[in-house]
Amino acid sequence: MTSLASRTSAAATSDLRVALIGNPNTGKSTLFNALTGLRQKVGNYAGVTVERVEGRYKRATGGQVVLVDLPGTYSLTALSPDEEIALAVLLGQEADVPRPDVVVIIADALHLERNLFLASQVIGLGLPTVLALNQFDAAEDAGISIDVPALIAALGVAVIPTVATRGDGLDALRRAIEQAPGFPPADLRLPLGEPIEAALAPLVAKLEASGLESPAAHMQALRLLAVPSPEPHLRVVPGVPEAVEATRTAVAAAGRDPYRLEAEVRYAWIDEVVRGAVARQRPAGRTVSDRLDAVLLHRVWGPLVFLVLLALVFQAVFTWATPLMDGIDAAVSGVGNWVAGAMPEGLLRGLLVEGVIGGAASVLVFLPQIAILFLLLGILEDSGYMARAALLMDRLMRAVGLPGRSVIPLISGYACAVPAIMSTRTIADPKDRLATIMVLPLTSCSARLPVYTLLIGAFVPATLVGGVLDLRGVTLFSMYAIGTVMALAMAWVFRRTLLRGPVRPLILELPPYRLPHPKGLLLAVWHRVQLFLRRAGTVILALSVVLWALATWPRTDVSPDLPPAAAAEAQLEGSALGHIGKAIEPLVRPLGFDWKIGVSIAASFAAREVFVTTMGTIYGVSDPDAESGSLRDALRAARDPATGGPAYTTLTAVGLMVFYVFALMCMSTLAITLRETGGGAVGARWAAIQFAYMLVLAWVSAYVVRLVGLANGWGLG
Amino acid sequence: MRTLLNRITGRSAALATPLARGEAGPCAECALVTCRAGVRSVVVALRCDAPEACRLRTLGLIEGAPVTVVDCRHGLLLEVRGARVAISAAIARLVNVRPLAA
Repeated sequence: MTSLASRTSAAATSDLRVALIGNPNTGKSTLFNALTGLRQKVGNYAGVTVERVEGRYKRATGGQVVLVDLPGTYSLTALSPDEEIALAVLLGQEADVPRPDVVVIIADALHLERNLFLASQVIGLGLPTVLALNQFDAAEDAGISIDVPALIAALGVAVIPTVATRGDGLDALRRAIEQAPGFPPADLRLPLGEPIEAALAPLVAKLEASGLESPAAHMQALRLLAVPSPEPHLRVVPGVPEAVEATRTAVAAAGRDPYRLEAEVRYAWIDEVVRGAVARQRPAGRTVSDRLDAVLLHRVWGPLVFLVLLALVFQAVFTWATPLMDGIDAAVSGVGNWVAGAMPEGLLRGLLVEGVIGGAASVLVFLPQIAILFLLLGILEDSGYMARAALLMDRLMRAVGLPGRSVIPLISGYACAVPAIMSTRTIADPKDRLATIMVLPLTSCSARLPVYTLLIGAFVPATLVGGVLDLRGVTLFSMYAIGTVMALAMAWVFRRTLLRGPVRPLILELPPYRLPHPKGLLLAVWHRVQLFLRRAGTVILALSVVLWALATWPRTDVSPDLPPAAAAEAQLEGSALGHIGKAIEPLVRPLGFDWKIGVSIAASFAAREVFVTTMGTIYGVSDPDAESGSLRDALRAARDPATGGPAYTTLTAVGLMVFYVFALMCMSTLAITLRETGGGAVGARWAAIQFAYMLVLAWVSAYVVRLVGLANGWGLG
Repeated sequence: MRTLLNRITGRSAALATPLARGEAGPCAECALVTCRAGVRSVVVALRCDAPEACRLRTLGLIEGAPVTVVDCRHGLLLEVRGARVAISAAIARLVNVRPLAA
């Protein structure tokens, strides 16, 4: 007793590591945000791209509580990378993540029965555990009465009713977290019966010998019987795969199906717990979600609503962001002009104004679009609509060999391919996942918007189509549409060639519709904006400076009699950038592109947004964002030195946009593909295939656009 | 005309099932995919591949558990232990159930 008291006292002043785990849609992230506020850090677990979210708050006694928000999961069955990570963290087997001191299970009070499956697995691991019974108010409203003391007695852990959206129960939860290490660890033993316990014993012993503590080894033994194959790190433990097979045989000999055993005993236990602790005041009837689903999952209205929502998202990104973009544009231009006015003419001024400020401008101006896009996607996700979208799209996706679940990463790809590829981790089947990753960059991400916006603004007239739709909006929508259609077509090709195999059928929980929580949404948007800025602040800004240097050296002797614009162009033509552009020109000339576009395409391999910056550098525009009129005017005014006619036409612009729809001009996407497809030589092979097929597709498509356009006389002006 | 209207408005899946037509009483055992919306039944066997069976069981769709078909327009939308779970028709063909009398 003394040692326990002193241990508790010493621990009270140091950091306490707490893991948060729960089913998806239980309000886990809302609770995490409520506990930690803005003190959060987002990264990845070592070797994989499962998102690692950590936050912290101060303990009243000194030290800090470090919270790890584990991925949402229905069980610890480890059938997906998310589940594997959650299990590994709780077992203390995840590199660089110490085993948590306390586990907090977030259970949805409305669906306690289903949530208790994961809870029983977690409690069975023998860690100090607290169960947060979230959305307690919604359960009461639905006529569900939960006897908390009875639940505490049945589970053997502290149970705290919470309403995370209002902050109710958070103080009690913090106190329970503090006290949990002082209590004896939970020891949930399901009633298996003597013959089954005897059959399990050799496997439990084998797992204990591999380093697991007794309760965790018992829980693992039961779990391993149900899964098709042990997870990779267990497969290499000598004797474990054989012991699993032997135990299955012994369990079958004892009269039970080994694959069904875990689910059967857990749900039998859950039924007993629910009978003793949960009372339903009135039978569950047709819910609001059911009524909404009657429309949103309707065979006709469902897909229509889906398309309308997508169109609204695009229109919002294109129109709502404009005033904010104009504001940022004006502010950055003002800074550029002030610096230009305050400094004497020279290389340093060129570096600052054209390299640094110009580069930063082209990046910052797109923050509103990215924020709005992630906000809207977040609303669709948190409201529960994304799961419906997956269900609606399942038949279409299945026709091309992808599961319905792929639609969520594909839709996320419209914002940015990098997090979208990361989100494919929720797809359990490796071939489904790989096929989704391979085609995902074909959906037009927000980084293509600068290119589309610049070219549409410069070359597509603001006329009305059918008296209602703006032709520029229609053009933008078309770019998204052809990327989407090609993504589906390429998925069909991949699933019949390199990734041939069966498509795993759809199994998906549809969460009840909910109003998204504003704080959680804004925090998620802030995390994405931070990621974008980090990327912009490093890669793109650095590249902008490099490009300025390439355009500045070697210096060309220019006649002082030339007008400034002609002098700038002569300097550029003689520079390193000019030489690179001339070298690329034969490759892009068949597409109707000149050396200036060629060099911009080459430079934008780092990131598509750089295309705009490079064109700005080439045309000597100090604030080269797609919305500013100066670069658009420069492009419209550019003349072909050979013919004297316009250097760029609407046909050139459409060809260029089609090229950018298909070409994989993004180092970050290639890097994430490499990592997500296995890393090393295997990952490099898939990344190379992705880059090559998309480049071929881009070149051929742009060439076809030009041929068709010229044949119809569209390339003249 | 009514059939066409039903097809457009998504009622055809329900009307296509023997149970919905009322031509026979609830069968002793049948595939879940043949059940119309509103039918409550008990899971008898999961004949799907091991990963899918494992996933269904963790979601509460275990042998002996009650399940209600809520909707059958896009695969099957089920009520399982108070939650809504959507499964494709392909997998619903491999779930054997015993319908309960209304």
